[in-house]
Amino acid sequence: MIDGVDYSQRYFEDVQPNDELPQVEDLITYRRVIMNPATTWDYFPGHHDPAYARAQGQPTIYVNTMHFLGFIDRMITEWAGPRSFLVRRNVSTLMSIYAGDTMVGSGHVVGTRREEMEGGVRCLVDLELAVTNQHGTPCASVLATVAVPTRAT
Amino acid sequence: MSDLGGTGYDIAMGTYEDAVSMIGHTTPVRFGEAPVNVAMVRHFAAMVRDANAGFWDEDFAAEQWGGCIAPPAMLMTWVMPIEWRPGGALPVPLLTARVPLPGTTFVNASNDTEFFHPIRVGDVLNVSEELVDVSVEKRTALGTGHFVTTCSTFRRQDGTMVARMTNVLFRFGADDA
Repeated sequence: MIDGVDYSQRYFEDVQPNDELPQVEDLITYRRVIMNPATTWDYFPGHHDPAYARAQGQPTIYVNTMHFLGFIDRMITEWAGPRSFLVRRNVSTLMSIYAGDTMVGSGHVVGTRREEMEGGVRCLVDLELAVTNQHGTPCASVLATVAVPTRAT
Repeated sequence: MSDLGGTGYDIAMGTYEDAVSMIGHTTPVRFGEAPVNVAMVRHFAAMVRDANAGFWDEDFAAEQWGGCIAPPAMLMTWVMPIEWRPGGALPVPLLTARVPLPGTTFVNASNDTEFFHPIRVGDVLNVSEELVDVSVEKRTALGTGHFVTTCSTFRRQDGTMVARMTNVLFRFGADDA
């Protein structure tokens, strides 16, 4: 066990429609945006060059798609637990998160279902999430499906 | 404008008709530069502050997944072109940047990804990208341009499809003020 890692697991039987995910807030400093090219190898200049971003009509550099996706994945597995598996997520980016902004994530359960698969049945939870900035401006809307374990064997 | 050269983002210029004629084009399979690895996984997890045990605890990850896994969000990272190779071979840009259009820049609009298997440390991913659609000209707050839809299939070294991604990118030029 590693300090600071949450091993608690949510099971299919624990989940109800309209259950809310904990809100997550994360201040995105200039350095955090620069971590985008460092960690994802995405050297599109909008993520590291403020002059390029301004020429695009944006106030400054902004986080890349993979950062949005990583924030969303984190929200989902922090809630669902480390034995969950992200099956699908569909993200529309509506507004950029700029250096100096705070990403604010929220979400809730839309529904639960069992899906027949080769080799058995898997237990799925459908989620709807939203990412805004500190002003409440919608920045991303998300539909996601995560597979979680069941207590039934 | 700053230097796009060598980044894999050299943008092909052309007309809407040029772009439409490319619809259905599928790229040859291209392998990532590096295997999925713990160093990059933890650096990314640090960026998004993700304490997922599958990234950090090798004992847990071995028992649950058969080894440390990568954040699903890193899917594209594993096939990112790098800007220099010995001998000076130029990086192959992503298909989205190779679609000829008038717009000089782009931002991403949406990303829909399905995952079929966990992506584990040691996997070597490859990708094949298909141009699915190019919209007619649209006007947005950022400028006027076209929405470019691509579908990418990601496989690991044994040929198993691990993910399929549909991405929509807005290729535009800023409107004159």
